Amino acid sequence: MSDFAIILRSLRARLFSTVTTVLTVAVAVGLLFVLLSMRDAGRQAFDRGSGNMHLLVTRDSSPMVSVLNSVFYANVPQRAIDWAKYNQIAAGFPLEWAIPVQQGDSYMGQPVLATTPEFFTRFEPSVGEPWKAAEGRLLRDKGGATLPGEAVSDDADAHAFEVVVGSRAAQATGLRLYDKIHLTHGIAQSRQLGAAAVSGDDGKTDHGGHVHKEYTFIVVGILEPTGSVHDRALFCHLEGGWVLHAHDRHNADHDCETHGEGEEGHSHAVGVGDLTDADRLITGIYVRVATRPGQQVSGALQTVFDQLRRDATIIVAQPNQQIMGLFRIIGSIDQIFVALAVVVMLSSGVGILLSLYNSMSDRRRQIAVLRVLGASRGRVFNLVLTESAVIGLLGAVGGLILGVIGAVVTSAVLKREIGLSITPSFGPEWMLLVTVATVALGVVAGLLPALLAYRTSVANNLRPAA
Amino acid sequence: MTSKDATTLPCAALEITGLSFGYPGAKRETVRVGTLSIAAGEQVLLTGGSGSGKSTLLNLVAGLLEPTAGSVRVDGRDIHRLRGPARDAFRGRTIGMIFQTFNLLPGFSARENVMLAMMLSGAGRGEQHDRASALLGSLGIDRPDADVARLSVGQQQRVAVARAVACRPALVLADEPTASLDPENANSAIGLIQETCRQSGAALVCVSHDPSMRERFARVESMAELSASMAGMASTASTASTGSHA
Repeated sequence: MSDFAIILRSLRARLFSTVTTVLTVAVAVGLLFVLLSMRDAGRQAFDRGSGNMHLLVTRDSSPMVSVLNSVFYANVPQRAIDWAKYNQIAAGFPLEWAIPVQQGDSYMGQPVLATTPEFFTRFEPSVGEPWKAAEGRLLRDKGGATLPGEAVSDDADAHAFEVVVGSRAAQATGLRLYDKIHLTHGIAQSRQLGAAAVSGDDGKTDHGGHVHKEYTFIVVGILEPTGSVHDRALFCHLEGGWVLHAHDRHNADHDCETHGEGEEGHSHAVGVGDLTDADRLITGIYVRVATRPGQQVSGALQTVFDQLRRDATIIVAQPNQQIMGLFRIIGSIDQIFVALAVVVMLSSGVGILLSLYNSMSDRRRQIAVLRVLGASRGRVFNLVLTESAVIGLLGAVGGLILGVIGAVVTSAVLKREIGLSITPSFGPEWMLLVTVATVALGVVAGLLPALLAYRTSVANNLRPAA
Repeated sequence: MTSKDATTLPCAALEITGLSFGYPGAKRETVRVGTLSIAAGEQVLLTGGSGSGKSTLLNLVAGLLEPTAGSVRVDGRDIHRLRGPARDAFRGRTIGMIFQTFNLLPGFSARENVMLAMMLSGAGRGEQHDRASALLGSLGIDRPDADVARLSVGQQQRVAVARAVACRPALVLADEPTASLDPENANSAIGLIQETCRQSGAALVCVSHDPSMRERFARVESMAELSASMAGMASTASTASTGSHA
């Protein structure tokens, strides 16, 4: 027989109250733990999008907008960079690579990023985690290898209209290998070829974009998940994207001419060979400054950054710094969540107090008997206090289990719903801190009931009940 | 035999001298005892009507209430001179108590109820288990691991007796131990208590208002007589004081 046995019997004697109180504490601890474990993980998830890119060059209104648009697909960048500027930047600085990207098209609401094959061979959406095709292949250079039995033509136009689909985009659209699709200019609900399109006969969509039925893209690859926002995008060759935009511009010019002569215009399909420098526009450049092999940071980065910033026609952003800035902005929201979890924790402490306090009227006789048998006031005080701490400890352990399950489920849901790959971090220091804090909360909550036990009159409570 | 006739033995289990106690706000003192001495192993029946202060006297002897005046020596030590944990520990080791409603702890087995008393008086774990098992076996408890709430009333009483003598106390205080029993079971129960105390060498003070209990005890004290002894003490003290002044 030991003091601990007395405590366990006491908890068991009022099992329902004990279980509900422990559950209340566990839910609060679980909530707090999920928030704490996901906080750093959220920041890591945002880091995944920019990967091994050092700098981002655009013509957006600010570096932050630039990163949100060109890395996280928040909106379509409104201003373009011409090809001459791209060449100037790519050749004028000590860069490991400079990958042009163009946004502005979509497929069933999923953004389409037009780029070069380098995007898949040089850029890594997460450092050390290169792109991999789950099915098919990645974008290739013209004349590059195709898969055995692959039914794609290698002429210039056919090569331009290859498309690779991110894992989330494939889930969202149901696209499969070698499906043929029409892209939409703008962000709208274009559909797979053969499926019912939401666009009308005039090619306009309900979101203001229009479907380019003149150009059929073929899915040559489905990507493995990267855990970054790129998973929800489709990727095509830069020439494919340029052709769509060139087609609109050429036809607009043609319409003006024919309308001027009072005739009805006809749609003329522009090919890769028809592209001019005016069509070769991009919305951003992913840049990595030259580094030593195996190094992620370059000493030249700041110099290149400063030099690029002198060019008033472009915006240069360091994505990592912008993401940190973004977290500083949303940090206060984060703190509100943590504060809410702490409030829930405190209310669970009140729950422990009420549970023990209410039980004291039933336990006065038990306390009196313990005193008669030789237990001191201090020992009775400690018994109640330890009981309260045990409730806190059980709640903490239950909460940690709930927290781990909750964080894993939350990260799975985030990955499934928005393609954000978060690995919850269960640092032992957090586990220890949360456990100690919860036990301490239990002790504080047990002080009043323990005091009542301390002051229980033995003689009065030994009398037979009336 | 009354307190006036009792001779003070060198190793008295209980010695009360000039004890008085009144509840706060009460017009008169609830307990007044001039002298009462009970030898080791002696068994005494304490009688008195309702409200005569029998149970209060037991609480004073156990050190659960503070007297207004006087002293209570249990096994040679003035229990009221002990403070806090020392008094609680002394009570646990030296005094066993049996209550009308047994006051066993529900949720604990019969064995655990006995072991609990031993644990709180400082007995080792091994000793707790062995002695509790032996005691319960000798008292005919065949289900020592059953929750006391599931035992019959008779068995509960046996467990209460076992718990009271588990720490080999010098003194057992039984407060109306048969009040809730029919005459046949009451007779059997008091016999069990007396025999168990006799075997363990503990003195017994049994409080009862049941007249039939008188024939079972060689010594009976009434609260009225104990109170009268207090008056006698006061008178003697007054006379002595007057004489000395004269």
